[in-house]
Amino acid sequence: MSQPRYPAHDAVKEPHAISLKVLRLSRPSLVTQFPLQQPLSSPSTLRPPPLPASLAYSPPSAADGDADGDDPNPDPFILSPIVNLPPSFGQAYVGETFSCTLCASHDALTPAESAALGLAPGAARKSIRDVRIEAEMKTPGAEQVVKLELTPPGREGKGLDLKAGDTLQKIVNFDLKEEGNHVLAVTVSYYEATDVSGRTRTFRKLYQFICKASLIVRTKPGPLPAGRDGARRWVLEAQLENCGEDSMQLDKLVLELEKGLVYSDCNWEVAGGQKPVLHPGEAEQVCFVVEEVVDSREGEGVQEHEGRIVFGILGIGWRGEMGNRGFLSTGKLGTRHVKQRERKATA
Amino acid sequence: MDPTKDDTPKGHTRTRSAVKATRPRASTKGPLDAVDVPLTSPLSPQQQQLTHHQPSPQPSQRMAPPIGPSRSPVPILVPGPISPFPRSAAPSPAPRRLAARPKDFSYLLRPDLYHAVPAVNVPAAFRVASAKQPGSDTPIAELLKRGQFRAAAAAAAHALTTPGVAPDPGDHVAVFGLLYTRLACLMLVDATAQAAQEVKAFEDLNSVFYLDEATGVHLVPWALRVLIVRLQAMGFGDPRRAVMGYYELAREARGRLGEAMVGHDNSGRELWKERLADLGVRVAGALVEMDDLTGAAQHLASLKEGRESGKLTMAKALLWLHLGDAEAARRVVKAGEMGEKAEKVVAALCDMADGEYGAALARWEELDEQSKDEMIGVNRAVCLLYVGKMQEGKTLLEGLVASGRASHTLLFNLTTMYELCTEKARDLKIKLSETVAAMDESPSGWEKANADFKL
Repeated sequence: MSQPRYPAHDAVKEPHAISLKVLRLSRPSLVTQFPLQQPLSSPSTLRPPPLPASLAYSPPSAADGDADGDDPNPDPFILSPIVNLPPSFGQAYVGETFSCTLCASHDALTPAESAALGLAPGAARKSIRDVRIEAEMKTPGAEQVVKLELTPPGREGKGLDLKAGDTLQKIVNFDLKEEGNHVLAVTVSYYEATDVSGRTRTFRKLYQFICKASLIVRTKPGPLPAGRDGARRWVLEAQLENCGEDSMQLDKLVLELEKGLVYSDCNWEVAGGQKPVLHPGEAEQVCFVVEEVVDSREGEGVQEHEGRIVFGILGIGWRGEMGNRGFLSTGKLGTRHVKQRERKATA
Repeated sequence: MDPTKDDTPKGHTRTRSAVKATRPRASTKGPLDAVDVPLTSPLSPQQQQLTHHQPSPQPSQRMAPPIGPSRSPVPILVPGPISPFPRSAAPSPAPRRLAARPKDFSYLLRPDLYHAVPAVNVPAAFRVASAKQPGSDTPIAELLKRGQFRAAAAAAAHALTTPGVAPDPGDHVAVFGLLYTRLACLMLVDATAQAAQEVKAFEDLNSVFYLDEATGVHLVPWALRVLIVRLQAMGFGDPRRAVMGYYELAREARGRLGEAMVGHDNSGRELWKERLADLGVRVAGALVEMDDLTGAAQHLASLKEGRESGKLTMAKALLWLHLGDAEAARRVVKAGEMGEKAEKVVAALCDMADGEYGAALARWEELDEQSKDEMIGVNRAVCLLYVGKMQEGKTLLEGLVASGRASHTLLFNLTTMYELCTEKARDLKIKLSETVAAMDESPSGWEKANADFKL
């Protein structure tokens, strides 16, 4: 995420007593390790316990209440069960949920600062009350900004009083649906009281980031011979290409069809295979058979508009590193009208 | 002259499709599988290698690959410059025809091979203010015991290269013992890239030069050979080399296991079984480092649980989680045998992968009550941040530091929280580095780097 473009807009030029920090909450990641044998140890004994410093975390000991020494660390495997917070903003992709934590803190004075003001170390210059955070997202397509819901919710819209060194933490979630520039705007307001006076102060920070496409979906419908009861049938093929920079595992495919149509899935679930993993630049070919429901009481199974039959939309769900979810749906897919004559012949 | 140099640059820029095409196949069951070891092996691996290196009048014959299942499909898939037989052209640095003469390893004792690990990445709290920085005459064993790995790496290099101190170039036990210490310590102080450059000097470890001429036993200790496989793959910028290297070692381990079984050597049998199982898991790790996660999953699925039951199941579950498939991780746990604690750990990690941080937190809290484990404490604190209770998480991590824990992960997560909760995070980070510098030295490592505190 880029740095805020303008740090504050406030009539008062005095520095703020509250600071705002943000961290994008992608999934935490498993920490890697490369377990090593103790140097200078005898080479021919059974594998001795690995050098503790080469493990991702210190193994529990009996003193920790871990009597049976049941450590789940799968050394010498490279992955360990301890997790790290996200180290950086990473890439933002269409279809993912953008999560971010917003932290407004009442910074305690450093010893040097309190000495300069003639205060006891750790004392606050002012008392800070009613701290509130608001967040909005500006998306590339929309005229209006979207107000974001903050969790955990506050007490009936009231702000929080912050002692020196305390932090008000909120989390926002936003479903990314568009490519392009997004701006997260965060407004912090608080009441600053000294012994003699008080005032409400506000500042706003903007965080800009670019959202990219992660999946390219190409579809191709084609006619199939009619079914036994004369129902029209089509094959709908789709090519799903990972155009992002991270691997993804396809999770599920769903066709949401118009009334009068049913489909059968011809992909990994039916075949009993593994869910496909797409590395950056790789593509997966999927296909469905779409069939008209012929019901004599209601006549035509599916509506046609200007010689076009609309099937419905295709939804694709995937998961990234450590289970990060993504979901995309296409626009309405369809095919051109299949001639009446052909249908009769096959029927 | 230097066969390894051939591997290095030469426009080895891989296209995406090339990566895919040459990724080693995952059907790796044979050589790492201890069960179907032939009881009588016509040739011991050493003998195989020896024959393989005999100059042959027919070059075509010499280039024919050794037969047997232990040659994984990998080398065949390797394109041009990386010849499947770098070792066939391997020139031994010393003449090898002179029998029963001690080998000359002086090419590993050249001072220009070893460079100092810069101290600029070490926070001031560890460098200046501390009386714990060891004197230059502290013995290496003492340095290791005190967790002074940067100093131990320097001491090992010093011992290798200083005239009068350096071991005899023919004393392979002393030379390789120091080299293992040097390389392992470099990896521990986050100087793996430097270690990867230094191992290039070994050239081809499969060369007959490294075999004892009388017994055919490899002179380099096993742990060092395992380490060199990964480091040389990194040094030559070809991660596939690591998979190949582990398979080479596995071939030998299988041969030795077969011999031990024939000779009813029980301890030998256990040792080589253990080493074979270890290599199997390391191959999966090499595949993870190549980002071939599905290949790694298939490979792990082909291995059998070793002496410590549950470890392999845990490895599989973590791999699926890393790939993002929490369902598969849960399935693996259900099918495998694991301790109760490990099962709960995977369940909590799966909840985190599903974004159910509240449910995960409840699991971590339950686990934390049972044992004060660093991993559980850190994961619980991370979960607290995801549910909006960072203050609590920060206090928890500070408590772990106060109890003497200082893993890279703990410090990284705590400094990240410091960055979030104040504009003046630098002061807190420096204070944290001072707290850690004041800790007792231990084999878990004492000195930390700036990166650990995000300084």
